[in-house]
Amino acid sequence: MASVLTPAQQSELSQQLRALLGPDAVVDRPDELLVYECDAYTLEKNPPNAVVLPRSTEQISQVVKLCAKLNVPIIPRGAGTSLSGSLLAVTGGVVISLARMNRVLSVDVRNRRALVEAGCVNAWITNAVKSHGLLYAPDPSSQPACTIGGNVAMNSGGPHTLKYGVTTDHVLGFEMVLPDGEVVWLGTTPDGGEDVDGYDLRGAAIGCEGMFGVITRVLVRLIRAPQGYKTLLGVFETVDDASQTVSDIIAAGIVPGAMEMMDQLITQAIEAAYKFGFPLDAGAVLIVELDGLAAGLERQAQRVIEICRQNKAREVRVAKSEQERADLWKCRKRAFGAIGRLSPNFLTQDGVVPRSKLPEIMRFIRCCSEKYGLRIPNVFHAGDGNIHPLILYDERDPEQVREAVQAGNDILEKCIALGGSVTGEHGIGVEKMDLMSKQFTKDDLDAMQMLRRVFDPDHRCNPHKMFPGSKRCSDFAPRKQAAA
Amino acid sequence: MIHVPEDMTVTVDASVALDALQDMLAKSRQWLPLDPPDSSMPLRAILEHNESGPHRIGYGTVRDYVIGLKVTLADGRVVKSGGQVVKNVAGYDLQKLFIGSRGTLGTIREVTFKLRPLPELAQFIQQHCVSLEAAGMLIEKIVESELTPIVFDLHRLPERGLQPGPTSDTKLVSLPLTIVLGFDGTKEDVDWQLALAAKLGFQQPATLDYDREFRTKAGSLQKFSVLPSKQIESLRSLGNEPFVARAGNGIIYHRAYIPMPPQNPPIQLLRRTKDAFDPTHLLPELPA
Repeated sequence: MASVLTPAQQSELSQQLRALLGPDAVVDRPDELLVYECDAYTLEKNPPNAVVLPRSTEQISQVVKLCAKLNVPIIPRGAGTSLSGSLLAVTGGVVISLARMNRVLSVDVRNRRALVEAGCVNAWITNAVKSHGLLYAPDPSSQPACTIGGNVAMNSGGPHTLKYGVTTDHVLGFEMVLPDGEVVWLGTTPDGGEDVDGYDLRGAAIGCEGMFGVITRVLVRLIRAPQGYKTLLGVFETVDDASQTVSDIIAAGIVPGAMEMMDQLITQAIEAAYKFGFPLDAGAVLIVELDGLAAGLERQAQRVIEICRQNKAREVRVAKSEQERADLWKCRKRAFGAIGRLSPNFLTQDGVVPRSKLPEIMRFIRCCSEKYGLRIPNVFHAGDGNIHPLILYDERDPEQVREAVQAGNDILEKCIALGGSVTGEHGIGVEKMDLMSKQFTKDDLDAMQMLRRVFDPDHRCNPHKMFPGSKRCSDFAPRKQAAA
Repeated sequence: MIHVPEDMTVTVDASVALDALQDMLAKSRQWLPLDPPDSSMPLRAILEHNESGPHRIGYGTVRDYVIGLKVTLADGRVVKSGGQVVKNVAGYDLQKLFIGSRGTLGTIREVTFKLRPLPELAQFIQQHCVSLEAAGMLIEKIVESELTPIVFDLHRLPERGLQPGPTSDTKLVSLPLTIVLGFDGTKEDVDWQLALAAKLGFQQPATLDYDREFRTKAGSLQKFSVLPSKQIESLRSLGNEPFVARAGNGIIYHRAYIPMPPQNPPIQLLRRTKDAFDPTHLLPELPA
């Protein structure tokens, strides 16, 4: 089942979209639509009725008005890197791709702001401003591909959010086409002051998972690039020792730019793929990056080395050059890509626990791995307590698929039980909808629906996401089995 | 109050005063990096009015630190959003909506903050300027320098203890203009910045008392929020009125009767928000 439209409606939709945007901006051949049947969460798939590739806010507004008239769902889409199925066309609809709206429109060096189109790739912003000594701080691992519009929709994080915060802390304002076609600007305007009258609808809409409208232009905050970095690599015998080191660094009053952990399995895979020189026999490696003014870095680094040694680190390496630092981060950020060497498929979770509960959740993940007989490597934002267990499975084996989904659920329920959350940065999407009722009460969810109604009273914008009990793709079997 | 120092988070009843919270956190050498003019206010009032102080340029506003909220809605239901962990995107970010909403959408009951370690050292210094033009030029030099101030203010206030008389107020040719900078972090960081600031003429130690003294005085406080590069222009429009400006942010507090520069907020969406959360308008209206 591809859509809820009759063939006559489908043909009318296609014709009218072409009339609005021209033939080169509409994709509706079934084979071409397969590209858009899922995002980076591949357990559920369904193609949309059509994909449009507009070039302006005005065009998007026209498409959205047409879809409102025809009562067709709209699904805004950036680079399609979402890991939670937040771009899935559950009941079909029109995908509005921002791929052709990808420019950096202006950079205001003095006021440290940049205005970009929503389809602009995250990394391009920093590339455009680094000659001025500035950068855009949120750095999801997918930053060479993911778009700023997608980042705003998902409130994306990344390794350096430990010190610098997530997307909402760095987006001053944005333009959005509401589900009725109206164009609004939320938050600080490009030439306005940072404080805005009225409710913080900017903040309330960041992380809406594309359910409030189509983000078209974004005003981001730029920060000064740190004067210096000290990037350390601690090598530990056990994950417990590395986890304790994380807690001790925080307790010592040190706020590193990032603190990332990789366990043995993922370290071996990364080493095989990228040949950085990671030890293959260590239980865990911890990347600690300090940044800021050069003056104070050395003493802080010494303190971190001391804390690593107190926790039985076998070795602490310090990146000797900018190249070595860049290589280390490249390995970390491409960790998911190295998984292909271990397994045909993986399911990643991004639950969060209070930092002090890291050793406990890591032990639980090991138990899950044994219980289901599935390998679960871990690479994660340890400083934030944000885990990323990568549950390895083979989709050709339905039993493994079922167990992978179940293992993921077990881990996330444990995160909730430890006072945490089911998602730190990937979002709920379709993947984790049913867990929402475990983390929130019905009243909590009702309050969220109140906010949704403000933006999308007809539930036509990226529907069937986030809220438990939403409609699923008709061919989605594994989770039904898992829930049984 | 639940404070977990190793998690750097605290969950606290919204009726607790900020200074009481800070005293408790200081025992673990942590703080909520927020310094509104009146720290004896309960957290609820600070959240509902989105209050901030001189540290705003270095640490942001309270929106950046709230990771969970418990709120009583207009219909009496108690709902929570966010949680106890520093990173969390489960569900919409309702916290942002309630912060600064002045109690018009619900009443904040309990709040969870992420915290920061107290810095090893914090130092404040100042320099006087002869004119707004001179202040503007010095501000640009600071912006272009490698300084990373956590306080960056410009103020023009009557000398302490020298209250302007009712008639002399507007006749004062010029009140002293002062730029205040603050640095914190490791001792090495602070010393390095003090040395650099000294080259720009900042030698004199300062306190931040002016912010409380000016902003908590009787009489209605006005605020301009402008692009930082345009603030000198806006300050000129104040004539000789006293002001405190967050020079790094382009926020100007004053008491002059000058209309605010017009903004163009999405009125319909704001109204729909009020109607969605408080359909019978039991709670106060959002001031126009």
